[in-house]
Amino acid sequence: MRAMFSDAPRVTLAAFYWAFILYLLLPLTLMMAMSFKDANFVAFPIGDWTFDWYGEVMQDKQFLEACLYSIMIAAATTLAATILGVWISMLIVAEGIRGQVIIFALACLPAVVPGMISAISLRIFISTIDMPTGTAAIILGHTVHAVPFVVVMALTRLRSMPGNLVDAARDLGADSVVAFFRVTLPYLGPALFGGMIFCVLLSIDDFVRTFFLGGYRLTLPMLIFAKVQGGMSPEINAMATLVLVVTAAVGLYAEHLTRRARTR
Amino acid sequence: MVSSNTTAQDRARSDASVPRYSTRIATVINSALYRHTLGAAVESRIGRVILLAGVPLIWLIMLHVGPIYQMLKISLLSHYPVQPGMESHFTLDNYAIFFRESLYFTPLIKSFIFATAATAVTLIVVYPVAYYVAKVVKPQGRSRALLLLLVPFWAGELIRTFSVIMLLANRGAVNVLLREVGLIDRPIPMLYTSFSLGFGLVYLICLYMLLPLYSAIEKIPSPLLDAAADLGAGPFTRFRRIILPLSRDGIVSGCCLVFLTCIGVFATPMLLGGPTTVLFPETISGFFHGASDKWPVGAAFALIMLVTALAAAAIFMRLVGGRKKRAI
Amino acid sequence: MEPVVQFDNVNKSYGGYVAVENLNLSIEAGKFVTLLGPSGCGKSTSLRMLGGFERPTSGRILLNGKDVTRVPPNKRNVNIVFQDYALFPHMTVAKNIAFGLELKGFDNQKIHRRVSELLELVQLEEYARRLPSELSGGQRQRVALMRALAPDPDVLLLDEPLSALDAKLRQQMQIELKSIQEKTGKTFMFVTHDQEEALTMSDTIVVMNKGRIEQMGDPDTLYGRPGSVFVANFIGETNLLRSTVLGMDGDMTTLSWNGITITASQGGLAPKLGEHLYVVLRPEAIHCSVAEPASGNRIKGKIRQRVFKGNHTSLMVDVGDGTLLNTLVHPSEIAHLSGENIWVGWKPETATVIPDRHAHN
Repeated sequence: MRAMFSDAPRVTLAAFYWAFILYLLLPLTLMMAMSFKDANFVAFPIGDWTFDWYGEVMQDKQFLEACLYSIMIAAATTLAATILGVWISMLIVAEGIRGQVIIFALACLPAVVPGMISAISLRIFISTIDMPTGTAAIILGHTVHAVPFVVVMALTRLRSMPGNLVDAARDLGADSVVAFFRVTLPYLGPALFGGMIFCVLLSIDDFVRTFFLGGYRLTLPMLIFAKVQGGMSPEINAMATLVLVVTAAVGLYAEHLTRRARTR
Repeated sequence: MVSSNTTAQDRARSDASVPRYSTRIATVINSALYRHTLGAAVESRIGRVILLAGVPLIWLIMLHVGPIYQMLKISLLSHYPVQPGMESHFTLDNYAIFFRESLYFTPLIKSFIFATAATAVTLIVVYPVAYYVAKVVKPQGRSRALLLLLVPFWAGELIRTFSVIMLLANRGAVNVLLREVGLIDRPIPMLYTSFSLGFGLVYLICLYMLLPLYSAIEKIPSPLLDAAADLGAGPFTRFRRIILPLSRDGIVSGCCLVFLTCIGVFATPMLLGGPTTVLFPETISGFFHGASDKWPVGAAFALIMLVTALAAAAIFMRLVGGRKKRAI
Repeated sequence: MEPVVQFDNVNKSYGGYVAVENLNLSIEAGKFVTLLGPSGCGKSTSLRMLGGFERPTSGRILLNGKDVTRVPPNKRNVNIVFQDYALFPHMTVAKNIAFGLELKGFDNQKIHRRVSELLELVQLEEYARRLPSELSGGQRQRVALMRALAPDPDVLLLDEPLSALDAKLRQQMQIELKSIQEKTGKTFMFVTHDQEEALTMSDTIVVMNKGRIEQMGDPDTLYGRPGSVFVANFIGETNLLRSTVLGMDGDMTTLSWNGITITASQGGLAPKLGEHLYVVLRPEAIHCSVAEPASGNRIKGKIRQRVFKGNHTSLMVDVGDGTLLNTLVHPSEIAHLSGENIWVGWKPETATVIPDRHAHN
């Protein structure tokens, strides 16, 4: 059947695909290459190669603090967003509750509001409830941002769950709470773990909410933003490369997990 | 000594063959604490509903709707935060300012132009890629081909923006290459222009276009294309009459996603754009971070942007996706 | 002895739709009781009401004499084997079976003993550590059964548990289910739409139709003396001869059918002269022959269709103006019936009269 199509469009498409991959990877590769340049300024070509900048970055207290701070915020965000997201999706799939379409729409609202506006509305919101900017406000903002993604992921999995499982648990003596923790939650397990890693990346990557909600402590994106605005240096390249490698590894791992969950 | 050793061993052996069951769970649910709290709550229907719906509804109303509502409220006030000795009253002035001054009007128009252009370019560039992965690549290789596209997106917004700077700067890769080849003597100033901003935006958001397109195109049954080819449809006809209409869902959601993201991008325009490319988010930001806080005006502007952006997305959905909905 | 389960005037309706109407049913301990009927007859709803998943609109359900109508499923001592088994996919076979025991607060040793005992009963000891996804359909079925039996329920409910299996496995499981029921001495309440399953396993069959009990009795009675046209049609193949009562003679009734006079057993009914009734005549009760039978009911007919079914042949015989009788002929006899014209005959006591409900309505 396939032979019916002539090969020309296929080859063109393949070429286009690889060109696109090149477009995607080239800037990042150049950025990574630059982190090995043995000079104080950023420019091509790279004459001598060195690891010095990585040593510099690893001793940069500001960088390490920003890393820790970002990870802390991401962990808190993930925990909160996962609990809330699963809870909301349980409500959406529950029987005998009306208005589930509206609840779903509300749950997804933060995902369609452009980031900048979401950030500003949250900034206004925390001031109306007299909450200071800073760590708690950032976590709150990041959680609002992450909840819709957890809801969508949990819902997909919940909808594929045989309805009888919870009935069976109840039949065997479990009340609704026990049935949730012993049956529903483990069933969500792998998909949820992928979603949690997505939350971590979402939080670590976020700039605009942190920019409006943050205090004086810098998160990773804030630090990189400040450094880029302050001028180019191979140190930024090294820093960005480190972050990129770590987040890409985590992202690939999450991808791997969700794929395994899907094939099960 | 010896005998106690044996019993320990025996116990270890029997433990290995006896699986461990969750006996703790009965202890928990039979404890007075559980029975009088959660256990009692789930006994009644009202208790179950409160347990299930309480926290989610409070969160959704407080934090998903609350901020937008507060923003709306403040956009209608003359002063906020209210200073002691001052009074705040209801006004529509904050909205009027927007229409009075082209200083504010222009950035919004620019934002829309950039977002629309970026969306269009992304659609045109990403569509063939999505089609290639979904229909041309063999199923076994599909997830790998997709993964290769996803990898760059695990780098954050700022890192990707920064890498574009590396590429386009005066001493960046492109200029160096062109000079080496001898095409130019002086670097072409590409950074801090509309070009660099557009390039960066497309680079930033193409994933949001790729995934919806991919899943829509993948759903088109391949036998349909074979059947069309069998009936004499050439590649172009097949694309126009079958693939394009059937992937409309993906086009609509991809475009909306990309458009709304572009509108709300904040850091990238500040790093890649120049003085001529001040976009609306930066304008709004000025009201919150400038020397003189003008929150009500900022709130009004943010709302104007939200409403126009959502309206644009809705109109687009109507125009492109509408016909299908009516068919259902 | 007090019945284990009692449905006392139970009604269940959804909006305007009546799923179960005036259900009165007592089930004795240790019996294998089957609720049989077409889909939508209310059998599954009755089962789910007993399990606690549906609440009756009115009426009471008693379990061991106690009113459990408003008791939630987790507080009732009944367990269900679900149609698609509903095994917990993330737990091993042993953990699945242990689920109910853990919640009862047994210690580890006791749970282990009980699980091993049950696995032994169905010869699945080797599979204790497998996940449900690593089992065959029949094995899953057995695990589901053992999981439901583990907490020692007063009644075991089975909601069409065999419908997902292929024909051969289903027959095998029917025998196994019955033997497990006998070994454990448990009361089984089985729901099915398959009359063969019901006939094979049950001590008592409750035939349901449109939310009501149509007839209740042991398999022999239901097959031999169906109480209504519905039951006669639903259980086994049958010929229904619409006839008019001509006279009574002891246990027997003389009737007129298609202008022929036939006799049939009264089957506990007290027919009135001139009344319209149905005569139930099972295909295997009819004897086909070339020569005219010496006694009993007999009619001349023409063979219209022969369907070979392996261990027998089904003949459709036209007994005048297109009225067809379904008969069953053994392989040893079919050779004699090569021609078209034959005699069909049956002994009067093998046919029973049943009321014609429609005539009264």
